This record gives sequence, structure tokens and C-alpha cells, in this order.
Amino acid sequence: MRRLWPRHVRSRMTLWYVLVLGLLLLAYAGVASSYLFYSLREQLDHDLLEDVERVEGLLENTPDGRVALEPVHHGEDELDTQRFVEVWSPEGILLYRSPTLQGGTLGGPPRPRPEGSAEPSPSTVRLADGTRVRMAASIPSVDGRRVFLRVAHSEQALWQEMEEIVSVLLLVLPPALVLAGLSGFTLARKALAPIDAMAHTAERISAERLNERLPIENPEDELGHLARAFNATLARLEAAFDQLRRFTADASHELRTPLTAIRSVGEVALQTPKSATEYRDVIGSMLEETDRLTRLVDSLLTLSRADAGHIHVQRTDISLLGLAQEASSLVEVLAEEKQQRISVEGVPTLIVSGDRLILRQALINLIDNAIKYSPAEAEILVRVAAGKDNRLIVEVVDQGPGVPQEHRSRIFDRFYRVDSARSREWGGAGLGLAIARWAVEIHGGQITFQSVEGQGSTFRVALPSTTTPEKNGHEEVST
Amino acid sequence: MSHESGRYYFGGESLRVLVVEDEAKVARALQEGLEREEYEVVVAGTGEEGFYLVSAEEFDLVILDLMLPGRNGLQVLSTLRKRGLVTPVLVLTARDAIEDRVQGLDKGADDYLVKPFAFPELLARIRALLRRGRTQQVARLQLADLEMDLVARRVRRGGKDVEFTPREFELLEYLLRHKEQVVSREMLAREVWRETSRATPLDNVIDVHMARLRRKLDEPFDRKLIHTIRGVGYVLREEQ
Repeated sequence: MRRLWPRHVRSRMTLWYVLVLGLLLLAYAGVASSYLFYSLREQLDHDLLEDVERVEGLLENTPDGRVALEPVHHGEDELDTQRFVEVWSPEGILLYRSPTLQGGTLGGPPRPRPEGSAEPSPSTVRLADGTRVRMAASIPSVDGRRVFLRVAHSEQALWQEMEEIVSVLLLVLPPALVLAGLSGFTLARKALAPIDAMAHTAERISAERLNERLPIENPEDELGHLARAFNATLARLEAAFDQLRRFTADASHELRTPLTAIRSVGEVALQTPKSATEYRDVIGSMLEETDRLTRLVDSLLTLSRADAGHIHVQRTDISLLGLAQEASSLVEVLAEEKQQRISVEGVPTLIVSGDRLILRQALINLIDNAIKYSPAEAEILVRVAAGKDNRLIVEVVDQGPGVPQEHRSRIFDRFYRVDSARSREWGGAGLGLAIARWAVEIHGGQITFQSVEGQGSTFRVALPSTTTPEKNGHEEVST
Repeated sequence: MSHESGRYYFGGESLRVLVVEDEAKVARALQEGLEREEYEVVVAGTGEEGFYLVSAEEFDLVILDLMLPGRNGLQVLSTLRKRGLVTPVLVLTARDAIEDRVQGLDKGADDYLVKPFAFPELLARIRALLRRGRTQQVARLQLADLEMDLVARRVRRGGKDVEFTPREFELLEYLLRHKEQVVSREMLAREVWRETSRATPLDNVIDVHMARLRRKLDEPFDRKLIHTIRGVGYVLREEQ
């Protein structure tokens, strides 16, 4: 059964169309012809009842006790041949039978009741030879003698007319359906052609050619909508692929750097014999690079698990100021080494719901960055405050060189560094801000920054406050 | 290597460790490193071999790699545990996924270590497993002329009091508890800073603290106690 069902939408549409149209036409023909039938029969009945009255007037007694039909006026001859008449006495004796009946009967002796009792109402009777007739009965009196009269007219003309009409209707139906089917199919194909074209284009667009887009003919109609949605998906895919490509390239670059160091240090060390102390130094240097590799792989793992959604956020209520103090005290020694001062200020009552470790990591990364980029004896300010729209704000203000304009859009990207040579010297892999951004965003927050070249940068973390319905926060993030 | 450092004896015999590890280089390194610590080491290259050895011989500790050819490390472990094996098992895993850890511990591992691990850390874990249930509370720690009173939270070196911040005190306590053993930065981050995520950049912080500790503890004295093992970590001991 499944096999018979057409594969293409256009064929299915056409089939349905033809099926429905056929049924509709059939129903229409049925209703029309039955209406016609009933009105024709009503006409017949009307004539019949008139004729009954006429025949009543023509009846006369014959000397032999029977009844005869007076000779008819000429001109109505033809009616005679179409008319069947039977007259019975109330006792059941046949008094008259028209020759048209050819010895047959219109129903035998009269039954006492109800036949002929009330108004004569016509009914259909089948004669011995199979002719269908319309018959009416009445009980007139012929010169004071009550008789039982039956008059019938043939239905032949009616049926002939019906037959003609029905056959005309049925003859017209198939070609009409074929025509409808053809035009339906053409229409469906025409309507679906853009979808076909879109499918073909989509097939052509592979991972290597993601920059191609579907043409949009009419952006307002359904197909235009579909194409736009498809194009938007393509754009997101392309962006994701780009990001992945860049990420892979950057990651392999970052991995290659320590690997190169290990390799050259090892190879050079083997060129000439050395003392045990020197060898120890070489191995130590190689181990340092291994350490860097390990840390890099760990950071990448954290990010990839975050991407895959494998990191579970364990929310608790945290005092934001407390968290900022904790984070800054952890890295404070680094600032002290550079005679920098970190001051943490703000309202202690602001509570955020979040994963303590993840949020702390974000703050540590930001403060660590501020220490790295600020000059000696600088002051680093960590400010906790309530912001607009029920957001809680943490700002980390440094006195560093600021972020040059051309780097601003990418500093949260993985592996992105404003000055790669300089940053590597400090041991970073360019993942700190990427991790910070992830940590903030997973809590429904945002991370932004402002920077004035030569004066410093302010990194600003906005987190939804616990008192705010979660929804509010999400709405903001999405805009 | 100095005497008495990482060794534990049962009735004069050295402890037997089975290493189930298919990566030949890693297995050889483990064997050499552990033998230097005077453990008796047997290496099995496959899960089946390890399974056979554990069933046939007595070991004090099993180091089990999870990614093994043939029989999976976890399967080996759970089968062994079902048969009533009580030997402590330290699992090595390359997979840093929490589910794996939980699974490993469920299947009967006593501890786990994520590859790549630092060798000093492995030694520390092994010691901890073998020492299990036999830890004693100490109130005083000592090395050469360094004395640490954990109750009064006082540190004296050469008879003179040395003042430390709480963090420095904790750091020194950890080093002193693991005297003559190399400790990695990672161990310090986890044990002293209680930082579980390896992605948190604490290395610089640790280095600064070590430098300060050195300034207070070693600088005024000729005999240095804190030594840096380049690329590995730190060790607190009397002589180079």
C-alpha cells in the first residue's frame, strides 16, 4: 500500500486535489439529478391526478353491469396509449380494464382500506412486463354506483430523461478530472519548483563552500521565509566553522611552541657531552615546557567540556563582594611583587546565585590580567555595585596600556592576544578572558570592557541578581 | 637520594607494586622511578596479564591504567573486586571527565590520577594509600634546626622565632610534612590553596609565596633548606 502512494509532494498534492474534486463533482451530480428526478415526478403526479379526475368523468355503466370508458375526444389520443385504467367493484369484480394493460393488472382486487379511501396519492407500481408506472386510485360513483378506479401513467419518459442527464454528467466528469489533475500538477510543480531549486543549492553547499547563500526571490512569501531561515542557519554554521578553523589553527600553534622548545632543547643538549648539572638543567627546562603543555591542554579541556555542556553549574548564594575579596586575596601576592595595590570596595549585601568556583575563576582571571598589564606601583580597583535592571556589577579597573582599537572585538576570543610575544613571556596562553567570558555567560551574565588607550581598561561583569526572575536576565542576554 | 624517605617496610621486605600499563615508555619510567624509591615493581603490559598476576601473586598496591588493549582497566578492576581483592588500587586515567572518575571509584579504585601526572604526586598518592589508616597526629615537625609547633603555630629556626602569614605557615607545614619529597606546584595548589581546577593560574602565586618563604626561612642562614627542582617543583631537605 505504501508503495502505491506517490513519492513526490506534487504528485500527492495532485492526487488529493483530483480525489476531492471528483468527490465534489459526484456529489454535485447526485444532488442535481435527484432534484431533477423529484421535480419531474412531481410533474408526472400532477398530470396523473388531473387525469384521474378526467377519467372519473368519462366512466359510464354498460348494460351488462360493467363499466366502460367513454370514447375520448380526439386529440388526446396519445394519452390513451400511455394511460392504464382499471375499475373494480367494491366486491372485487373487475369492471373495466384498459387494453393498454394487455390483460395485466394494476394491483388486483381492491383491499378494503386504506387504498382509495382518502385523497388519491400516487405510488409507483411495476407492471407484469416490468414497466414502471405511476398509479393513483380513487373511489368515484358512476351514476350512483361506487366503483374502485385505478389510473396509471408510464414513468418511461421520466427515466429516459434521467438517463440522458446522468450520462451527460458522467461523461463530462472524467475529462474534467483529467484536466483538473493536469492543471493541478502543473500548479503544484510550479509552486514547488523553488523548493527543488533550494534543495539543489543546499546540496551544493558543503563545508568548504559555506559562504554561498540561497537566492531570495520574494522575501515576503513562505518560500522567501524558508530561504531566509536557511540562509541564517548557513551563516551561523559558517561562523561556527570559521571559529573552529581559527581555534584549531591557534591551538596547534600554541601546542607547537612548547613542543618546539622541548625538541630543540633536547637535540641541542645531545650535541655535546655535558656535566650532570647541565643535563639536569636541560631536563628541567624540558619539564617546564611539558608543564606549560599540560596547563594548556587542561584549559582547552575545560573549554571544550564547557562547550559540550558537560560542566554542571552548582548554584549557591554567594556574596559578590566576598567572592571578589577572595579572588583578589588569592592573587594579591602577584600585585605586591609589583608594588601594586588592589582595593576591593562595594556593598557587602549583594548576593548572586552561582557556582562559586566558576565565578571565582572568572574574577581571578580578570584581576590576574589587571596585575599583568598594569605598571609597577599602579592601583587596581575591584568595585562591586548594584546596576540597572536588577543586575549586579563587578568592575575590575586597571591602569594598563589599554586595548588598542583594532583588537577590541576579539579580546574575548580563545588564544587571542593583543601582543603575542609579550604575553607569552608572562606564561599566558590567551585563554583567560575566553574562560572568564564563558564563566559569566553560563550564569546568564555579560562581560564587557571599556578602554582608553594609555590610561587603562575597565572590565565589567554584569550578573543577574538573585531577586530577579531568571527570565529577565535571559532576555537581556539575548538582546 | 636520602635514606628513609619514601619507603615503607613490612617485616623487612620492600613493598610490591604491580604496574598495569600498556604504554612501554610510561611503564618503564614508572618502574625505574618506583624502584629508586625501593619498591619492588612488576609490570604487566595488558589487562589480562595484570589480571593473571594479581590473581596469582601478592601485591601491596596496584597501579592500573584505564585505557588498556584487550581488557579494559575498569573491567579488570571490577572483576578483581568481585573476587574479593582488597589490595589498594590507584587508577591512572587520561580522561579528565568527572563521570569517569566516579565510575572508577565506584568500581573499586582507591584513588585516581589524571594523565599527564607529576611523578612526585604519584609517589605522594602511593604513600598515602599504603599509609592508610595508620596516620598519626603530630604536634611538632622538625628538619635540621627548623622546628614547627603546629599547636602553638610557632616556627623556630636556629632557636629564633620566624614570623609567617597563615598561608606561608600552611605552605611550610605541607613542605615539612613531605620533607625530603619533591612536591609539585599542582600538589601545592590542591593541598594548600585547595584549588581543584587545574586551569586556574596559580603557578605564579605559588612561586611568589615560595620566594617569600625562602626569604624568611633560608636567607638569614647558610644552610639552605628549600630547594627548587627545575621543571618539577620544590623539596624541603637538608642538603642538595
